[in-house]
Amino acid sequence: MDVLQYAWLIPVFPFIAFILIALMPKRTLGWEDGWGYGIAGAGGALALSFLVIWEVMNGNTLTEDAPRTTWLIIGGYEVTFGIWIDQLAALMLLVVSIVGTLVVVYSGGYMHAEGETRRRYYAEIMLFISVMYGLVIADNYLQMFIFWELVGLCSYLLIGFWYQKPSAASAAKRAFIVTRVGDIMFMAGIILLFKYVGNLDFAVLFDVNSGAAGAPTVPSDILILSTALIFGGAIGKSAQFPLHEWLPDAMEGPTTVSALIHAATMVKAGVYLTARTYPLLVQTPESLLFAAVIGGVTALIAATCALAANDIKRVLAYSTISQLGYMILGLGAGGYLVYHLQNPSGYTAATFHLMNHAFFKALLFLCAGSVIHAVGTNDMRLMGGLRKHMKITSTTMLIGALAIAGVPPLSGFWSKDEVLAAVYHAGDLDPIFLLLWVLGIATAFMTAFYMFRMWFMTFAGKARSDYHAHESPRIMTIPLIILAGLAITSGFALFAGDGFKAFMELPIEEHVLAGHESAMDVAVEIFTDPLTYVSLALAVVGILLAYRMYYMPGFDRSVFARGTAGTLQRALENRWYISKFYDDFACKVWYGFSLVCDAFDRRVIDGAVNGFSYLGASIGGIIRKAQSGNVQRYASLIILGIVILLAFLLFVVPWGGW
Amino acid sequence: MIPIEYWLILSSLLLAVGVYGVMTRRNAIVVLMSIEIMLNAANINLVAFSSYYSSLHPTLGTDATGQAFALFSIAIAAAEVAVGLAILLSVYRRYQTIDVDKINILRW
Repeated sequence: MDVLQYAWLIPVFPFIAFILIALMPKRTLGWEDGWGYGIAGAGGALALSFLVIWEVMNGNTLTEDAPRTTWLIIGGYEVTFGIWIDQLAALMLLVVSIVGTLVVVYSGGYMHAEGETRRRYYAEIMLFISVMYGLVIADNYLQMFIFWELVGLCSYLLIGFWYQKPSAASAAKRAFIVTRVGDIMFMAGIILLFKYVGNLDFAVLFDVNSGAAGAPTVPSDILILSTALIFGGAIGKSAQFPLHEWLPDAMEGPTTVSALIHAATMVKAGVYLTARTYPLLVQTPESLLFAAVIGGVTALIAATCALAANDIKRVLAYSTISQLGYMILGLGAGGYLVYHLQNPSGYTAATFHLMNHAFFKALLFLCAGSVIHAVGTNDMRLMGGLRKHMKITSTTMLIGALAIAGVPPLSGFWSKDEVLAAVYHAGDLDPIFLLLWVLGIATAFMTAFYMFRMWFMTFAGKARSDYHAHESPRIMTIPLIILAGLAITSGFALFAGDGFKAFMELPIEEHVLAGHESAMDVAVEIFTDPLTYVSLALAVVGILLAYRMYYMPGFDRSVFARGTAGTLQRALENRWYISKFYDDFACKVWYGFSLVCDAFDRRVIDGAVNGFSYLGASIGGIIRKAQSGNVQRYASLIILGIVILLAFLLFVVPWGGW
Repeated sequence: MIPIEYWLILSSLLLAVGVYGVMTRRNAIVVLMSIEIMLNAANINLVAFSSYYSSLHPTLGTDATGQAFALFSIAIAAAEVAVGLAILLSVYRRYQTIDVDKINILRW
């Protein structure tokens, strides 16, 4: 039996769980109002995903010849749904299945106090997991777009889970509307491709301009535009600058949702889309450069915002944006390397970082959830001294922080280093990548600093407010321990078997590549490269700086309140005023424009419509007098008409010669 | 044999009388009677043309189509009178008048 043929069943398990939780009578829901169904659905998908991943690791993929089902027939074009299981999809399946299942398990503890609303929570979470799997295994852009919108819907529903809070309701709306800007670009991109190719299947599109027999061709400027637009979808979904401000606001949702949707899976969809579009992107260096610049700028801006955030979840949210920026930067620079040197190291590095980041960021978010569960606030200024009370949480969060800071041998070190190395090598091709590399290095330093600032503020020192902290129940700590284990070990995937790079480059290999290096070469390359030691040194300096400023006594932080430093501090606390700019733009400029449009609509358009109806009514008022109700007058008019007609036939027609 | 023109003049006069009655009389019964006169003008025409047709084509014998139509027309006129009188009766019950100038609610 070929397991890959049944990969379409993966989203079905969580979907059945969603249907059961949403529709079954309340008394049948069992533990925690549907938690049991959630575990079963997520677990079933996890098991099948692992079988599929195992097959892919054995070198089997299911791409062009996958089974398809016809969904719609429009004219001569059949819209089909199918599955596309390659190494990249397997990687995302791994992330979604592990993090999804662990988050559902963890929710059993975290959402325990929510009562009746847990049912809605579990239903929405299961729907999200289901459509996320659907997005990952989609085999054409239309199918991907449908699931893309559905994950956006689930994100909206779950950010607004506590919709009674006005801030949560508005954050949900904001997330939905801002990501919609990207979605429109994505849609425009695929419409453009469809116009020129007449098909949206990856199997057809990835052969574009390949020169193979029967391969469609697209003019290069159109291809650049469409790939840039598709990347625009990634800007929205992966919260890249300038559409990144929705993600920190999205922290209004439950922490489990932040961990699953806004750190590990949905926001990765943008990166996944970019990586998925690689066979097209590597033909358009302009789009790749655009992506790389967006990624580098995002990484730096988000990291600076994280320096001054006091909300533990917002620190993590900015950190997520920053790391997503890394992945996009890696993909952009990596595409340049593929385009010019047939070297896939940027692509493998970015996808590797995608996997590692999913594990350690989910870990960090779930740790933050555990802390919030214990303390009852998000504000790190009110925490402190939690290490004594929460041994497991503080240890696992330390592991997560070390991983993201890039301390070997934890996972973040390997992948971040690979990304930075790829960007540096792309600098040989275009000096702008050297600038982006500097941004990346600065981001690495700041990442180490703000992560440890967060850890010290939360766990070290003395309690700064009155709370009775306690370690979270085992149902929450066990997922933390599993994720901590993954945060430590997932980096070694680089060396397992033939090595991660050899595994990941396979799907693009057939298009552009030839040959690859062995796992041993990779290790040697990492440890002989001076850049490795530069980024490592910066990470250590960042950690020590945080230690000095937030752990050791006697550091006067009031210097940040004065002079230039004070201005900078306020700018950071206000997120570089980007959010304020959007608010001002919406409230003043756009509102003013809307008022003009409103006046135009009322005066001119409504005026024209009302004018015409008034004209019609006036004419009708005059000629309706003919309708007198007097039968004899009607008869007279009929006879008059007959006489005129007869006179016409008798005199005018013969005279005119007709 | 009386020439066809005479019949046509007679029927035209009868039609003019009927039209005048329909257009001017206020009493709905008289209007109905005027309509009957117009119908009979048409019947005269039918019979006259029928006879004229036979005289033009003596070899075909007597053609009775026009006369048969006249009979149909008379029968229909009888039915029409019955319906018309029934309507007038209903109108009278409703408004206590059959003055057509007063029965004018179906208007603007």
